[in-house]
Amino acid sequence: MSVAVMKTKTETALVDGFGEIADTLPGGGSVKSARAAALARFAGNGLPHRRIEEWKYTDLKGLMKEALPVVVDGESKTTIADVIVAMGAIGRLEVPRFVLVNGHYRKELSNLDGLNGVSVAPFAQALSSDDAAAALELREEDRGSDAVLALNSAYATDGAVIDVASGSNVDAPLLVVHVRAGPTPRRSVGRNQIRVGEGAAITIVEMFVAVPGSAADGQMNTATEVQVGAGATVDHVKVTTDLGQVTHLANWLVDMHGNATYRAFQYTAGVGLARNQVRATFKGEGVKLDISGAFLARNSEHIDTTLFVDHAVPEGESRELFKGVLDDNARGIFQGKVVVRPDAQKTDGKQMAQALMLSETCEFDSKPELEIYADDVVCGHGSTSAAIDEDLLFYLRARGIPLDEARALLIQSFIGEAIEKVQHEGVREALMIEAEAWLAARSKTNK
Amino acid sequence: MLEIKNLHVKIADEDAEILKGIDLVVPQGEVHAIMGPNGSGKSTLAYVIAGREDYEVTDGDILWNGNSILDMDPDERAAKGVFLAFQYPMEIPGVAGLTFLRTATNAVRKKRGQDELTTPQFMKLVKEKAASLNIDVDMLKRPVNVGFSGGEKKRSEILQMAMLDPSLCVLDETDSGLDIDALRIVSDGVNALRGPDRAMLVITHYQRLLNHIVPDKVHVLAHGKIRKSGGKELALELEKSGYAEFQKDAA
Ligand SMILES: Nc1ncnc2c1ncn2[C@@H]1O[C@H](COP(=O)(O)OP(=O)(O)OP(=O)(O)O)[C@@H](O)[C@H]1O
Ligand SMILES: [Mg+2]
Repeated sequence: MSVAVMKTKTETALVDGFGEIADTLPGGGSVKSARAAALARFAGNGLPHRRIEEWKYTDLKGLMKEALPVVVDGESKTTIADVIVAMGAIGRLEVPRFVLVNGHYRKELSNLDGLNGVSVAPFAQALSSDDAAAALELREEDRGSDAVLALNSAYATDGAVIDVASGSNVDAPLLVVHVRAGPTPRRSVGRNQIRVGEGAAITIVEMFVAVPGSAADGQMNTATEVQVGAGATVDHVKVTTDLGQVTHLANWLVDMHGNATYRAFQYTAGVGLARNQVRATFKGEGVKLDISGAFLARNSEHIDTTLFVDHAVPEGESRELFKGVLDDNARGIFQGKVVVRPDAQKTDGKQMAQALMLSETCEFDSKPELEIYADDVVCGHGSTSAAIDEDLLFYLRARGIPLDEARALLIQSFIGEAIEKVQHEGVREALMIEAEAWLAARSKTNK
Repeated sequence: MLEIKNLHVKIADEDAEILKGIDLVVPQGEVHAIMGPNGSGKSTLAYVIAGREDYEVTDGDILWNGNSILDMDPDERAAKGVFLAFQYPMEIPGVAGLTFLRTATNAVRKKRGQDELTTPQFMKLVKEKAASLNIDVDMLKRPVNVGFSGGEKKRSEILQMAMLDPSLCVLDETDSGLDIDALRIVSDGVNALRGPDRAMLVITHYQRLLNHIVPDKVHVLAHGKIRKSGGKELALELEKSGYAEFQKDAA
């Protein structure tokens, strides 16, 4: 039984605003009706709120105070130099990039040279193909319950559709860069699709960044569907360093086929409100899954990581390691649900979530959930939250290292243990630099 | 010269005194040993010299080269030449040994007005010091002390000491946990640092160490006070008679 709840101003705007721009969204008749159906699903339930178990720590209904207008065409002032600056340390890597500004692909800012065995196309283009409605429509199990995904289907403007041919071994990481730009607060809605063929290997880095000087406020709803083919190896990294008070809602929907290796890493820092949701499903035996991440939050930032790992078949391995650094009044949330279905014998799952608390007023909520229906499995989880170890601090200081530097070294080493999980050396080092910059900003404001 | 005057110390949030009026002078160029029963306050004294904050000095003073160090932070004391080799060296996951050594070495060099070491200079120095202590440099690529054996941790303390070039060395049971060969290697390492400009305070339970590091004086610390001082032969006496004598007059 669902209780009728009053619609918030935001919900009303999300529903009513659709009609105004529906005709300008990409896609023909069948896409339009799929969008309208998705919107109707959203309108039925509204935004998720704290009485819905998966959203109990992130009351989106209460937290999302407005619906910003969706950008119907890209803004054109952004230059390559802006994009590079927005990308921070990763901007220094000379690797292929697919760039979107405010939710729209920008060819002249992108560079896809040197990609062999990979095709990259704009999602908007896929929406004008024969099978367009199918391209937009999410799978049944994702479609039903999730309001954020329903909004994504209704409003998605563009994104990257990446196809990696079977057997291709792609050396350079491919960056998909979602850039926020311009002085007016806007909402962007992006959809990416990644299909990696059998035995192929690739590193894909999704970035969510802002050009310096952009509006302080912004909203992003992004969804990425990933198909990891049998025996393929995919390193999938998400870097969210958008500045300001943005609301960032992200979904990864991942299917992994037999003997595939899928390594996900999510770095989130400096975001007003972030919800990173990952649903990973074991579709074939012998899959190795690693989902890790680092999140850094200060002021009143709120970063939520919610995982749903579905061991549907035998002999799967899953590892999750998330580490967060929280300061001021920031709030970190980790929810890790692992389901081991009756058939999924010989499952091996381990999960760990750790927060380093730099202030008395920050908060970390961790909710591991193991649902095990098979008997021959090894599963474990753990969670810690602690302040900086005073004994270690004394040890470092007794060796002449000043307090600030000693603290920074310990925080870096804490977060470094998560960042170590990133396989690509250039990306890993760039993320370490990003984390150091975040810390440096901290010691500056504390003086 | 290290001068400890009527030092009274308690745990910050508790009432019971641990050190109850320590008086001790270690002139430059001398090595003094401190022996005493478990729980008598030896490590407490070492920590207070290094500047650990959990302890509160309720009376007395510690002077190093004529200046009180009690108001100095631990890192400031390190820059002034104070070094404590810990009884239980800490593991620091995620910080590579070399990074740690280099950060520490350059931090104290900077405060002492010396040039910071470049990477090649630093590596040359580490390799040289590590070799003399029979430490494999590859071990220093691992996080500080993580997975080290008890003896390896103690050797790693002495390597840190050699790198930081201190003038006041406090060694808290550096010999415990060392095998016979390691004891000799570590002692050689400590003896190499002996010199007219350095003062050393060596805390130990075993007379054996003092055959390698021959002390100028031996003090017995029991129940928070220095109960007896003497020459190196005092250690031999204690070996025979134990601490019974000092338990008695504690009350
Ligand atoms: N942080 C602390 N909190 C509570 N009690 C403490 C603390 N540190 C030391 N003590 C107490 O103070 C006393 C002296 O301890 P200390 O470690 O200095 O002894 P010690 O002489 O070094 O002993 P050992 O030979 O076993 O190393 C002990 O009774 C110990 O329990
Ligand atoms: Mg002790």
